[in-house]
Formats: sequence, structure tokens, C-alpha cells
Amino acid sequence: MKINQENSTDNFAITPRGIDFSQWYLDVIKAGDLAEGSPVRGCMVIKPYGYAIWENIQKFLDNEFKKRGTQNAYFPLLIPKSFLEKEAEHVEGFAKECAVVTHHRLEEKDGKLVPAGELEEPFVIRPTSETIIYDTFSNWIQSYRDLPLLINQWANVMRWEMRTRPFLRTTEFLWQEGHTAHSSKEEADDKALEMLEVYRDLVENYLGISLVLGRKTESEKFAGADYTTTIEAMMQDGKALQSGTSHMLGQNFSKSFDVSYLDENQERQYVWQTSWGLSTRIIGALIMSHSDDKGLVLPPKIAPIQVAIIPIFGSEEDKSLVMEKVTKVKEELESVGVSLKVDDREGRPGFKYFEWERKGVPLRVEVGPKDVAKGNVVVVDRLQGEKNFVEDKDLSSFIQDSLDKMQNSLLVNSKNFREENTREVSDYGEFKNVISEEGGFIFAHLCLDKDCEEKIKEETNASTRCIPFEGGIGNKGKCIYCDKEAPNKVLFAKAY
Amino acid sequence: MVIRPYGYAIWEFIQSALDARIKARGVSNTCFPMFIPESYLSREKDHVEGFAPEVAVVTYAGGEELQERLIVRPTSETIVHESMARWINSYRDLPLRINQWGNVVRWEKRPRLFLRNTEFLWQEGHTAHTTEAEARQEVAEMVAVYHDFVSEVLAMPTVCGVKSEKEKFAGAVESHSIEGLMPDGKGLQMGTIHYLGENFSRMANVTFLDKDGEQKFVHMTSWGVSTRLIGALIMIHGDDRGLVLPPEVAPSQVVIVPVAAEKEPELVMSRVSEVAQQLRGLGLRVQVDDRDGMKPGAKFYQHEMRGVPLRIEIGPRDAAQNTFVCAWRFTGEKEHLSMDALETLPDRLDDVQRAMFEKASADLGEHTISVHSKDELIERLNRQDGFISARWCGSPACEKAIKEGTSATTRNMPYEHTHEEGNCIWCDDPATTTVLFAKAY
Repeated sequence: MKINQENSTDNFAITPRGIDFSQWYLDVIKAGDLAEGSPVRGCMVIKPYGYAIWENIQKFLDNEFKKRGTQNAYFPLLIPKSFLEKEAEHVEGFAKECAVVTHHRLEEKDGKLVPAGELEEPFVIRPTSETIIYDTFSNWIQSYRDLPLLINQWANVMRWEMRTRPFLRTTEFLWQEGHTAHSSKEEADDKALEMLEVYRDLVENYLGISLVLGRKTESEKFAGADYTTTIEAMMQDGKALQSGTSHMLGQNFSKSFDVSYLDENQERQYVWQTSWGLSTRIIGALIMSHSDDKGLVLPPKIAPIQVAIIPIFGSEEDKSLVMEKVTKVKEELESVGVSLKVDDREGRPGFKYFEWERKGVPLRVEVGPKDVAKGNVVVVDRLQGEKNFVEDKDLSSFIQDSLDKMQNSLLVNSKNFREENTREVSDYGEFKNVISEEGGFIFAHLCLDKDCEEKIKEETNASTRCIPFEGGIGNKGKCIYCDKEAPNKVLFAKAY
Repeated sequence: MVIRPYGYAIWEFIQSALDARIKARGVSNTCFPMFIPESYLSREKDHVEGFAPEVAVVTYAGGEELQERLIVRPTSETIVHESMARWINSYRDLPLRINQWGNVVRWEKRPRLFLRNTEFLWQEGHTAHTTEAEARQEVAEMVAVYHDFVSEVLAMPTVCGVKSEKEKFAGAVESHSIEGLMPDGKGLQMGTIHYLGENFSRMANVTFLDKDGEQKFVHMTSWGVSTRLIGALIMIHGDDRGLVLPPEVAPSQVVIVPVAAEKEPELVMSRVSEVAQQLRGLGLRVQVDDRDGMKPGAKFYQHEMRGVPLRIEIGPRDAAQNTFVCAWRFTGEKEHLSMDALETLPDRLDDVQRAMFEKASADLGEHTISVHSKDELIERLNRQDGFISARWCGSPACEKAIKEGTSATTRNMPYEHTHEEGNCIWCDDPATTTVLFAKAY
């Protein structure tokens, strides 16, 4: 295969972050070949390279879920509209976001297609599956012996969005949704936290994104939950991104859907439930956390390709020498579990460097005739752009060390950045100032009056992200807005 | 349909085994929108005619009536090709091979679990090529991939062949299929592989600049298998006691049931976990059924129903004598083995996998019957004797008449068939091919 050179440099110009962050984001997605728009408004096409990242995320989470006894299952995409109406808060939260299937046939009339076969009861395309799953749970659960029930589903969901952005806010997105039922409140409380911890593990240790864990305020919680826990990340523009949520549903849904069981004393009890989800949105967070003006930067543990090997040669004679070494390098690195790509397409090395750089491949290995003669290779690091001559005998340990170091420094950078841009504020004037001048996270006291939260949002555009588990919950003080007693300290930010 | 965890686990084994085979061919996974604008469906005339009668139509969204209605994908050719038109510029971009694991919706009036559901899960592959020969080669290779996968992993024999004009995919030049025969004598199409020619590339304008400097349309293929395979799996291998699962896709390959454990609880349970550990070390999927308050007999019954290939029973005497009891689901045989026979069990399960395929193959062979007269054709089709092979002139009129008379359809024209000269079984005109007839799911 040959490199398509008209597809190179100019088409992938990346607007610098400092000039226009949101254009930069779109440019990076295009340059990284992750996704593109589609003829369906608000829906995206996830291209092979972007999908490979999602597959790596899936693999990690699926394994963690199964280790904890969670089983995968699959529930219908189409939910009878009446189901949604069973939980009052829930329907209010989702009613305006649904796509509705009203007909099951198209017929030709005067050369045009018209819907036919109108449905007696319309179906909504699932915006989330609590209702249909709990309707099913009510059949599956009879006795305390059927509990806990731990179910997960990998699926597409649909929420009609007015302003969409690839990965961050798309009408259709991919996610997993876990749903569990328990015999006691304590067990469900623990499960909600346990699953949040799984998300933290993924996002911090694999995606290299530092997080704040906490509880959502009443107005930001999931429609129908007792409370919602969340992992919140800070993007490079200082805005927050909710990266995953885990909800304690209490008995709200089990009462609406009659999910009950006979306990050991033969008494009928409602189950306690949790639900938790993480979506392709996380890929948006990944892009905005690490990437730079040259394109994507991918953490080694989640990168579909960790090392790109570029053979460099002029003559046919050089070619066979170089390719022989390339094969050896490939075999050696693969044997220690490195995922790699040998880029042996025709075309100038410069174009290849540029391509792997914008695709965020952590390390590039160059092998030329001189390297064959000297018994070394050149290794270039995506994060620092550092060039190293590495002797053949040290190669695999050098590569593994470099990948580990890069993984680690991405998380450290992300943590430092978040901490530097988190400010404690006790005066509302200062709050407004910081939000408009500096951005980032603001940590301030907030009372329980929903009006204060709403007014702050109206006046500053900053919403509450969470009440952090550390230093937030139970940290008493005076409300930043009304000066009344505040039971908690809350994290505020403009958010995606 | 709700796919319960046990059923979904089977689908996951199907997915991971097939995904590896597809990726080994250089195919990448992607995700395309589940909605297709109504106008896209109409672009290919045969395609819209084929699918319009069974699509779910979204007319409202976000609380408002939509200006352009959306349909939930019944298949994704139209929307995938729209992207391919952007992705492909030159011959250097070809071949392009992508796959998608997703859900599709085709409205069913009479749904049947796994076999015919309004929504089902599948994979759909889509490829684009520079030449017809290369695209046809892709079709041939994918037929082989599906055939081998279904044989080796699901232990189900299938007949590879070409679909008739009437039975082909709406919009394809030619459809190929792998067809299975169910024990009730009905056929079940388990996978299809379509050569689309330039039909879709002309509609979506998917062109490339060839080496000779000319702009040309790409030649395309598409291919898919679905959760229908699970329906076939149930029917082909199941018996009157329930499921029989081939070891390759059994969520538990071995279940260990402690028997009379209350007499020597420590001895029995430590042996049970020792056996479980050893078998897991040998790479087997092992379940220990140590539920309280349930008699061993009830457990046996349940695992039999769920088709677990091997049940191991361990009681106090077995534990003391270093033996265990094996009960094989497929043959119904029971045997006493000594502990040192544990390491032979992975091979024995491979034998089961093979034997299941051989049995099903023998059934298929036995129930593939050549007929030479119209009366015999009608009689055998009405009796559902199996795949009825006959010479055919290829005309849709005869195909239609046979369907009306017997409710059987043409399944496919098998590749592996020595074609004999002769006349059409129905109209007596010269035959052009040999075709399999059967009633079908």
C-alpha cells in the first residue's frame, strides 16, 4: 500500500488550543481519524481507530464487571412509551429527549414513501434502560435467593440533543449500563461506590486522567435516583467533564415496577437498586485531557498501537537489511506484549512520522541503514518529542520503561493541572471573577436551597459538579451565595 | 426479546470467536448510526422495495415532528456506503474492509425467539474493492469463514451455495448463503454473503481513481450472521431433556456437583475445589454447584436442561477413593474415573465437540434427498423430509409455483454438486442448475 499524499499535511491542519479550543478539539478528531459526522443530525460514525480505543475500554471494564459476578444480558432497544411514564421523576427527565417510533412500515404513494402501519402504542428508543430492565427484574426476582442480581448491558442509547459534539454529546451514543438489585440498603450503597471505584481505576490508571470523586447535588442527580455519585475530570480548557456516574436508586424504581422478593421470614420486600454507566463520552475526555497542538496523545495502556516502527531506506540493498532488522524488532517487542504497527507503506518517512504523531502513538521507532550498522534504533517519544538512540540489547526494556513512564506522567500532569486550576473561594464576587477570568474548578460552600445553585448557574454559567467525598461532604460553612448555613463544600465549574 | 445472561454468554462466545476470525482478515470494527434518513433507503430501488414493508419509522423526536423521518436500520448498506464515498479516493484506499457489531430492527408480525425478532443482534461486514474479481474473491473467502466458524465452533454443518434471484438480498447482484437443516426437516439460513457489484456504489457515488487515471465505481460486498445462530444451535443439538451445548460455546463446560456432602463436608468440598482448580488450570470453564437446600438430583436436572457438556459428581466415597463420576450430556454416558484422568478431560471435550458435528453432519447427509419427479418433490416437501435436491430451470415462475404448492422455498444452489444433465423438475424445460428446496424458518 502507498501513502495517499494528497491526504497529508494540509487537510490535517490543527488549530492551536490557545486560539480556539473547540475548533482544536474537532481538528484533533479529524487528524486522528477517530470519528466523523453523519447524515443523521447529531449522530457520528466512529471510525476504526476511534472504535479500537472503545474496544480497549470495553475489554477492561467488561473484565472488571465479570470479576465481580456481573453478567451481561441484552434488553430491547424499543421501550413501550407507557413504561417510561411509570416513574414520575424519570419520565420528566427524559420525555423531551426521546425519539419515538410511531409506524412499522413505509409505503409508496405518488412516488413518495409515507409511513404506514401506525402503532397502537408508540415505542421510544431507549434513552436509558431502567424501565424495561426493571419490568424484567420483577419477573426474575422472587426470593432472597435470587439476590443480589448483577446485570450489565453494552448497547446504544439515544437522547435527542440540540447542540451536538462528537463523543461529548451525540444523539446516539454507545455505553454500558449496569443494573443491580439487592436485599439491603447497605449492600446497594456499597455496590454504587464499588462501581464508581471501577470507573476511577479505568479513568485514572488506564486513561491517565485525574479525577474528583463525589456526590451530585439534588438538582444534578439522575432522574429517579436517591443519590448519584460521579467522577469529574478537568479538561485542558478548565471545563469539567462528568466521566461516569453510579446511582443509588433506593426503592424508587422497585416500587414503581413492583420488583419485590420474599425474604427469609417469608415477608414481601422491595429490592434496593443501583445503576451505573460509562459511555463513549469518555473518549472526548481522553482527547481533551492529553492531546496537544500536534494532535492526539494516547496513554500507552489504551492506545490501539503503542509503537509505530518506520523502516527507512534508499536502495534495494538497504531495504533488505533494514527490513530484516525491523522483523527482529517487531518479534522482540510483540513477545513482551507491545502492540505495534510496522509502517512499510511506500512514501517518505516524514509523512509517516507526521501521521503517527497526530494519531497519538506513544512511541515511534525508526530503523535505517545506519542503525543496522551501529546496532541501535532511534526511539522518539510522542509526549516530549525526545529522540533516543537505543542499543539493540536494551530495546525491549527501554520501550517498556518508556511506556510505563509516559503512562505515569500523563496522570501526574493531569493531576497537577487540575490542582493548579482548582481554587477555594469564599466570596461570591471573587467566584464570579474567577469563573470568568480563570475558569477551572471552584471549591466553595453551598447551602441546600436549590435557588442558590440555580442562580449561580444563571449568573456565571458554572454548575455544581459534585460534593467531593474528600473535603466536601460535611464540610460546614457559609453559603457562597446567600451566606446561610451550608452543610457541604461543593465543586463548581463550567461543564461539557 | 430479552436475552438472559445464559443466552447472552453464548452470544459472547460467538462474538469473540468470529471477531478474531474477521480481524485476522484485516477487517476493522466501526460504529455507524442506528438511524437512517428515509431518503437513503430509497436510493437503491430493489433495496427499498425489500425493506420498506418492515422498518420502524421515527416520526417524532425531542418533542417535535421530524422534517425528515428516520428509520431504525434494518441493515446498514446505505449509511455505510455514504461514508465510504468520503473515505475512498484512490485505488490506494482499497480494499476497504469494515465490520460492525450492532442491533438492527425489522418489524416482525410473528416473532419467534432468536429466529425472528423485531430487533436482533448481528455483525455486518462491508467491503469495497477495485475489481469484480477481487470482490467475488472476498465473497468466496467469507463464505468459507462462516462455514468453518459454524462447523468448528458451533458444531453445525451447513451447505454453501448461491441464492436464487427471488431469495437474494434486496439490492445485491448475487447472494450466497450457508444453510442448515433443522431436525424437523426445515431449513435455516445461518449466514449470508452478498456480492453487491456496483449497484450501491453507483447510488452513493463511491468511486476511486484507478492506476490508469480513470475514475471508477468500487465493487462491494456485505455479509452478516446474527443471534439467529443461537436458534439454530438450540434446534440442531437440543434433545427432549433440553439444551445440548457444544463445549466451545458452553458458558460452563463442566459443572461439579457435590453429592451426599453432608456426610463428610470437609472431605467432599476440599476435593470439589481441588478438582475445579485443576480443571480451570487446564483451561476449562468450570462451575461448582454448591447451592444449599437443593438435592443433587434437582441440580442434575437443571444442568442437563441447560446443556452443560460434562457433569462431575463427587461424593464422600469418591473423595476417599480418589475417583469421581463423569456424566456426559451429549451421549448420556456415565463413568467412574480416577483423579489422574482429570487431565484427559479437555481432549474428551474436544471429542464431544467433534462428535456433535459428526452426528449433525450425518443427519444432514441422510436428509438431503435427490428427487426426480414432481410428485416425489411435492410429497417429500409436504412431509418435511429435509433438503430436497432437484434439477431446476432457474425460472422464478417454477419457484413460485412450488412455493404455492408446498410452501417450500429454494434454499440455495450448492457449490458442491455434480450437475447432471436433465430437465426442470417442475416445468420439464432443460435444467440449468440443481437447487435445494425446503420449508424454512
